[in-house]
Amino acid sequence: MFQNLTRIAAGIGIAACTLLPATDASAQSKLKEVLNRGKLIVGTGSTNPPWHFRDEKNQLVGFDIEIAKIIAQGLFDDPNKVEFVNQASDARIPNIVTGKVDISCQFVTVTAARAQQVAFTVPYYREGVSLMMVAGGPYADYAALKAAGSKVTVSVLQNVFAEKMVKDALPEAKVDQFDSVDLMYQALNSGRAQAAATDSSSLRYYMKQNAGRYVDSGYSWNPQTYACIVRQGDQDWLNFVNVALRESMTGTTFPLYKAAFERWFGETPPEPKIGFPQEFR
Amino acid sequence: MQAFLDQLWIARWPLWDGLLLTAGIAAAAIAFGTLLGGIVGVQLAYAPWWLRLPFRLYVDIMRGTPVLVLILAAFYIPAVAGLSLGPTEAGTLALTLFAGAHIGELLRGSLQAIPPGQAEAGRSIGLTFPQLLAYVLLPQAARSALPPWINTGVELIKGSSLLSIIGVGELLLRTQEVIGRTFMTIQFYIFAGIVYLVINIALDQLGKSLERRVGQH
Repeated sequence: MFQNLTRIAAGIGIAACTLLPATDASAQSKLKEVLNRGKLIVGTGSTNPPWHFRDEKNQLVGFDIEIAKIIAQGLFDDPNKVEFVNQASDARIPNIVTGKVDISCQFVTVTAARAQQVAFTVPYYREGVSLMMVAGGPYADYAALKAAGSKVTVSVLQNVFAEKMVKDALPEAKVDQFDSVDLMYQALNSGRAQAAATDSSSLRYYMKQNAGRYVDSGYSWNPQTYACIVRQGDQDWLNFVNVALRESMTGTTFPLYKAAFERWFGETPPEPKIGFPQEFR
Repeated sequence: MQAFLDQLWIARWPLWDGLLLTAGIAAAAIAFGTLLGGIVGVQLAYAPWWLRLPFRLYVDIMRGTPVLVLILAAFYIPAVAGLSLGPTEAGTLALTLFAGAHIGELLRGSLQAIPPGQAEAGRSIGLTFPQLLAYVLLPQAARSALPPWINTGVELIKGSSLLSIIGVGELLLRTQEVIGRTFMTIQFYIFAGIVYLVINIALDQLGKSLERRVGQH
């Protein structure tokens, strides 16, 4: 269903674009437009912790939200000059292509196919799949799970690729698929499954919420890179966002990135090494 | 159950706001859609063919297109024409156009179902066409159009849940946000389903009682 929605949405967006010639591509950089406007318009979602969701006070929070605030900090020296536009995952690319938002930071996985439609910024996180187990359970780590072979049952969110995804890491394990996150975790808590496999970031956040109750197997696989997306053909804007993001991971604004990372993933990111810029090594 | 009720209490205001937005959008769409549908229905029933044609095209296109596609089109097509509608406005526009077509078509049917003797009688006592419409035809058509009109209202309440896809914070999106935080998928979807059901049954009952008072006997 989501595939189809994406196609419909993208189709309408792209069809709409061809109705008019590219008007503002060369006229003025988005950077100037945003600075004149005095606030940054960011597309993101509201239903996926720890990335973008509403807390109990109904405030939009999460790692994507903090990334947007880091960019606003660079623009206006004020992390709160951001207007968030709520969008479904399917609307991420159409909303960029039609200029509804300046930038989208909504756990967009970088793929070559998408790079044909939008411009990706530098990455800000590398997602993967990890295995979580109940603390003090029969298997201590990934090696023990793998050694146990078919005695292990792994609970996973229902998905066409779920079975293969688990078998890539644990070829002999049994796979139990559940159609919601709470049921997946319940299977683990009740002992029906010995491990739960899901996005590393979700597991880290869940483990932080329930400190001491769970352990990570220590093995992650299925890498995918998250970056923000902007419209193609505006190098000044892309370059600005890249600088703002890169410096939050390597330079002056690292404390902001570090605080966000610790808050949402319960881990401290590696400190930038002083001396030779490590990204050129 | 207690955990669910606790979360429901925490989330009561966002959910209430979502419910109000759902009701507001549906009410706006039925109000504007009825105005639009009134014009469309009269044109379809009485206009000469060349004037009828654009209305017929509008009705057929709207009725032949999924509401989801109308919503996405209302959100994206004005954007590239330089007119950027917010999600709520675009969603209301899409549902209004949808309602206008349906109401226009059901009004046309109701008008054409009135026995021709009624119009002839009106004309013979010297009523002009606007008078004929206002005093003879529309009051009769409105009665027989009432049940399907209520039905359109129910469709709009349900259709408004599709607006979550363009980021309108109506009841379904608010529910999904609570699920995102609490992971209580089944409980909150059932809750939202019951709320929609209660609204629609209430609307249906309202329609039935209206029908009993003004409907045909």
